[in-house]
Amino acid sequence: MDVSQYLEIFLDETNEHLQNLNTQILSLEQEPGNMDTINEIFRAAHSLKGMAGTMGYKRMQNLTHDMENVFSEVRNGNITVKANMIDVLFQCLDALEEYTTNIRENADEGTNDNEPLIKQLNEILNGDSADSGEEQPTSEPTAEGAAEAEAPAADGDKKWLAIKLGESEQNVLEEAVSQGKNVYGMTVKVQESCILKAARAFLVFKAIEETSEIIVSSPSAQDIEDEKFELDFSLIVISDASLDQVIAAAKGVSEIEDVTGGVLDLNRVASAEGAEAESAAEEPAKEKESGKPAAQTVAAAPAASQAPAKSGKKKADEKKPAANKPVVNRTVRVDIEKLDTLMNLVSELIIAKNSLVSAAAASGTSSTAVNEQIEYLESVTTSLHESVMKVRMVPIESTVSKFPRMVRDLQKTLGKKMELHMTGEETELDRTVVDEIGDPLMHLLRNSADHGLESAELRKERGKPEVGSIFLDAYQDGNNVVIEVRDDGNGIDTEAVKNKAIEKGIITPEQAENMSEKDSIDLLFHAGFSTAKVVSDVSGRGVGLDVVKSKIEALSGEVEVKSKLGEGSSWIIRLPLTLAIIQALMVDIGNEKYAISLGSIQTIEDISPNDVKLVQAKEVIQLRDIVIPLIRLNEILDVESKKDPGENLVVVVVKKGDKQAGLVVDELIGQQEIVIKSLGKYISKCKVISGATVLGDGEVALILDANTLI
Amino acid sequence: MMDEELKVVGETTQFIVIKLGDEQYGIDIKFIDNIVRMQHITRVPKVDPYLKGVINLRGEVIPVMSIRIKMGLEPDVETKSSRIIILKMEQQGTIGVIVDEVKEVVTLENDQIEKIAYDSMEDKNSFLCGIGKCDGGLISLLDLNSVVMENI
Repeated sequence: MDVSQYLEIFLDETNEHLQNLNTQILSLEQEPGNMDTINEIFRAAHSLKGMAGTMGYKRMQNLTHDMENVFSEVRNGNITVKANMIDVLFQCLDALEEYTTNIRENADEGTNDNEPLIKQLNEILNGDSADSGEEQPTSEPTAEGAAEAEAPAADGDKKWLAIKLGESEQNVLEEAVSQGKNVYGMTVKVQESCILKAARAFLVFKAIEETSEIIVSSPSAQDIEDEKFELDFSLIVISDASLDQVIAAAKGVSEIEDVTGGVLDLNRVASAEGAEAESAAEEPAKEKESGKPAAQTVAAAPAASQAPAKSGKKKADEKKPAANKPVVNRTVRVDIEKLDTLMNLVSELIIAKNSLVSAAAASGTSSTAVNEQIEYLESVTTSLHESVMKVRMVPIESTVSKFPRMVRDLQKTLGKKMELHMTGEETELDRTVVDEIGDPLMHLLRNSADHGLESAELRKERGKPEVGSIFLDAYQDGNNVVIEVRDDGNGIDTEAVKNKAIEKGIITPEQAENMSEKDSIDLLFHAGFSTAKVVSDVSGRGVGLDVVKSKIEALSGEVEVKSKLGEGSSWIIRLPLTLAIIQALMVDIGNEKYAISLGSIQTIEDISPNDVKLVQAKEVIQLRDIVIPLIRLNEILDVESKKDPGENLVVVVVKKGDKQAGLVVDELIGQQEIVIKSLGKYISKCKVISGATVLGDGEVALILDANTLI
Repeated sequence: MMDEELKVVGETTQFIVIKLGDEQYGIDIKFIDNIVRMQHITRVPKVDPYLKGVINLRGEVIPVMSIRIKMGLEPDVETKSSRIIILKMEQQGTIGVIVDEVKEVVTLENDQIEKIAYDSMEDKNSFLCGIGKCDGGLISLLDLNSVVMENI
């Protein structure tokens, strides 16, 4: 089977499951007895295994299979969760992640069998499987009995008995049995008078899938859909419900003449296929001898009677390609490239709209009808832009959910006690930003864990709780998303920072003396700076914080640090909601047009030249008791201002963090929605220009980056 | 890169002949994406003087440079025949260059192209990769990679 087309989906879903497993195992560590968690873990491991099997990744399948066995025993209460088991499980997840990475890179899982891990898993299993041993003999007779009872009936209406099972399907069924689900075979007969057989079959499928999962159908689901069957078709389903319920569900569909079914005995099917197993009774015995967990095949009968009646929830989690079920999903997976194309088209539309606006203005058309239509068009394009933006937004959860696991590992490597508290995981950001923000956040968290938090003894001495806390809070603030990484550790020792900077030759001792606290904290972002006395593998390679800063600035965001010595520090990241289209203020400077992002603009002031004061030979203005430095844009941009020196100044006050600056422009043109275009790397020297945009009249205007001006 | 191709005997290369002042220059046609009329160029501050700014080419923002300033000639004087040739370079992407006039397309056999000796380190020569002889006239063949290379 050619599976390459499913590779992408496989990778996506595998990542989701791995992530899920990570989270769930973490919470399992917290509360080992939580059945919901264990069930969730089991389901995820099971789906992983099924997927790996379908895609033909044997090693991955083997590993997940053994993990699943462990979970299964945990679920049955035969093994209790211990710390060493959690460690092994985490190692398994790492190994699985490695497989996935290999698959992503070269479509092959690699050659690492991870035997030590499998051995460890089996040891965990065997350590406690003695208890479960009792169960096995009791179940044998039942299984045997069932096989005997059904054997003579393999004719006539019971066509389902003739269904041949492939290896992967057999595995899926065995797993289901070991999970305590029932496996039924059934044959559905359609009335002769029925015209739309395929439609009826579809309804039967749908009805059965309310409570069960269809594993095999004969003829195949595709053939049934194409109406390539006579009057009956057979199914093998996994279900939590009783046989009668399933049959009743199928019979509930009109024009169905009859439905017959029974419990499917896997061993019998296997032997009917001519597999090596001689009889149903012998196989479990053999498996027991070899010390393997035999529970999965044998536990069928006792589990069947228990039949935990929960279904709906499970269905969503388990997507097996083998089932091929016609389920209508409410969500669609879309390639991010298609969304990019869509976004580009929206950008073009907005440019076209802007052109229309200026064309109408230029031709002097003052007809209200035209203006009304243009306004309508404007509101449509704006909402279109917003909708497309929303489609591209994903919760940051996908990125941050790996952090609790990371903190747990850090706790072990650093030998400190710490806890991560996260809020606002549901906050949404543009997909590209979410993908990029993971590394910087990880750096900051590691930084907090390594440099921020003190050791448990020191914390005790200082009267703080022994367990250090790291907080990760995300929330939306206007057109920005704020992500805050906080810790209740030592805070930043500015003296130590300065000394280190002097030592590294970044600043001179004289400079250090005059430095404000804020400036010295900013030294941390200097390339090649690291205060850790010992280079650990956690942080302290000196590549952390400056990379964090440049990465965030590349996403048009900013970082701010607040710290109090002895009480902790917080790192505040601000990111724009969207990158491609912004609201901007157009200004005129010496007959050239420039755009300033509305997001950074605080106020616009009309200042008399007399109010401009000089401080240290630099122009400042005083605005509501705050002294704000003035920046004459015409000087920065090398153009002649066309205004008289005596005229009032138009000052655009912009802010960056808590700093402000007043940009002097010649004239304000107005607010406009602009599409950001890159200037390309050929013109990258100009730092104050962050990009360009095409105006309505086809002219290019440059976008001023207020952040670099302050 | 180009030199190697020129060595192959019997092959021909097409050049677009442009004028800068009185001199004729040839640009290998394979680098040319488009030729557009002179239009308003938006100046970009704080960049090298030979970078004239950016233009809007069908919605894309493209940098435009002056070969004249880069080669140390007199600054461009915009006339009716001035054109911007849009080049597609492997490394630098799309770039426009301003020329005084676009004349014609010529096809040169390899034996019509004379390579330039590299020992003369004169500034102007370093932008050329050869001299083409065609109908009695001489065409200086531009080495585009060094023309659009950023000044360090």
